Amino acid sequence: MAVSSKYFSGSEKAHEEHHEEEHDPRESLMFDPLPRGVMNQMVMESMLTTSWKFWVVFGILAFLVATCFIYAWGYMIAKGLGVAGVMRPSYWGIFLVNTVFWIGISHAGTFISAILRVMKAEFRRPFTRAAELMTTFGLVQAGASIFMHLGRVWLAYWLFPIPNERQLWPNFHSPLMWDLLAITTYVLGSTMYLFLPLIPDLAMARDRSTGWRKTWFKILALGFRGTEGEWRHLTTAMNIFAFAIIPVMFSVHTIVSWDFAMAMRPGWSSTVFGPYFVLGALHSGMGAVAVVLFIMRYTMKHMDYFIRKEHFDALGKLMLIVTFAYTYFFFNDYIVQWYGGDRATDNLLHWLEEGPMAWMFYQLLLFNLAIPALTLWNKKIRQTPWLLALIGLIINLGMYWERYLIIPVMLTINRMPFTWKLYEPRIEIFLTIGTFSLFLLFYLAASRLIPLIPVWEVQEGQMTHSLRKVGKTHVPTISEFE
Amino acid sequence: MADTTLLALFEDIDPAADAIEKLHEMGVTDDRINVISGVPVMHKMLGRPHPWTNVSRLALGGAVAGFCFGLFLNYGTPLLYSVPVGGQYITPVPPGMILIFEMTMLFALLSTFLGVFLDSYFPNYRPLDYVPQISDGKIGVFFKVPQDDQQKFTDALNQVGAESVEPHEARQL
Repeated sequence: MAVSSKYFSGSEKAHEEHHEEEHDPRESLMFDPLPRGVMNQMVMESMLTTSWKFWVVFGILAFLVATCFIYAWGYMIAKGLGVAGVMRPSYWGIFLVNTVFWIGISHAGTFISAILRVMKAEFRRPFTRAAELMTTFGLVQAGASIFMHLGRVWLAYWLFPIPNERQLWPNFHSPLMWDLLAITTYVLGSTMYLFLPLIPDLAMARDRSTGWRKTWFKILALGFRGTEGEWRHLTTAMNIFAFAIIPVMFSVHTIVSWDFAMAMRPGWSSTVFGPYFVLGALHSGMGAVAVVLFIMRYTMKHMDYFIRKEHFDALGKLMLIVTFAYTYFFFNDYIVQWYGGDRATDNLLHWLEEGPMAWMFYQLLLFNLAIPALTLWNKKIRQTPWLLALIGLIINLGMYWERYLIIPVMLTINRMPFTWKLYEPRIEIFLTIGTFSLFLLFYLAASRLIPLIPVWEVQEGQMTHSLRKVGKTHVPTISEFE
Repeated sequence: MADTTLLALFEDIDPAADAIEKLHEMGVTDDRINVISGVPVMHKMLGRPHPWTNVSRLALGGAVAGFCFGLFLNYGTPLLYSVPVGGQYITPVPPGMILIFEMTMLFALLSTFLGVFLDSYFPNYRPLDYVPQISDGKIGVFFKVPQDDQQKFTDALNQVGAESVEPHEARQL
């Protein structure tokens, strides 16, 4: 039967527009190869080109670290925890909010690097290192925040199982001991996982450096040349790490959630807290990666070649999926607590919705659920780096509020209303600024001391990708080299 | 007759594979050939034997050691230094699983990392066979041949597409 063309009115135009919008695979990094020497040169220039703006930002951050981190912490050690706002009923304040927040940020590195490596997601290649650095630097801040929380930090070694005459022994039944073990494993594991794929790039930098940088890269490259044996050992180890670090990552934030969920406390005692925390960590971590990639792309030389709109697009899709998963767990946690009808829990939920911290609760809903879910559908938004970075920033603000509500606020609204007194942070505010500054300072220093782009992984990816002619068009094809 | 080390540089994998095949034909055994590249190149592509590695065995050994250490921490030390808490068992199983898991993973990861160092002889700051062009994407084939045959091998590898074939001495990286 002939089909009348009226049913397709306007279809030709739409067809043309569709063709215009079609993605040209040659715009993709994997199909736009440059000679390895040129890519090496670009990465070296991005590392060595430093403008006065860099030093201004570096100086400001260094000042903030000196005052808000080193001096403020020293002051707190000298004067005691009394200078902080933690007191009954909220003994856990911003220090632990920061700990949970930074551990959350650290999850993105492993997720992007390990899970995407295992799944062979090719878009990961240029920005795995930027994400892995976030893991290591984020964990440093998390660790520092725990030590701040300890107060008498010089007694931290009491946590370790060292045979002694003090009649002290760590209680391995305690979630806080599980924390120590899990975070220690994660810090060491993720640092080693950062270092292994870095070795070939350090060797590349060694070959192109002079002076103190040559010595620096020579020491770190360990004598790597790229023999068949060295590659075999390295890739085997990286595969083992990629698989092994994933359950460690899940265990870390699950155990962090158990710090709360193991207690019979309104808002905390929840069986979904483990996966809910893991998803929350991925949510904030992915957002932070978007911010870091945006800053790298616009502040470092040649980064627009390596970090393209396709990467923001892929990251945006991941963020959207994580948003849905996070929303599911948030709602699951909320409705089960709400439906249970426990008096104290009801009080807490009413307080969250109508109390003095309600603004934080509604911002949480807006920033973590509504904004990403409503915006990341749009391809144009995903492909606009500054917009994706802004959404990432908003998600992180929302996630910070979430942790704030879970820790000091839920500690406050407990089963004993006569103790309810809102937590008011004091020196913690400076120390929080200090940890954020230290994270950025580490990142800034790393951008000048190690190659942020894994050049060999990018080149390996470009070698495996090709365009194959099928009919009248070329389709992207990926070869399995491993 | 003294041996000399020659370095043949190649732009791509195909001529490097042809060159290795040619070397085999000319009687150079695999243990006298060393291939160095800026990206991992599969041994099959070059017609080379499968490189041996101990890393996975060390990882497994580390995991077993970590498991045992976790068992010791969880079930051994509380008997030495008991912490009676709320009438709980001194050596409970569920919390023990967490500790054992973390120790197993930690030791597995540490031994994997250490395995790379042991198998690759890292760190190694002695003079080594290497040229910086390799990290620019070239494939370097180092091979040892009798000094008198040097010209014969140079001509043969130039014919299969080597960019350069030159005598090489180990140098500081």
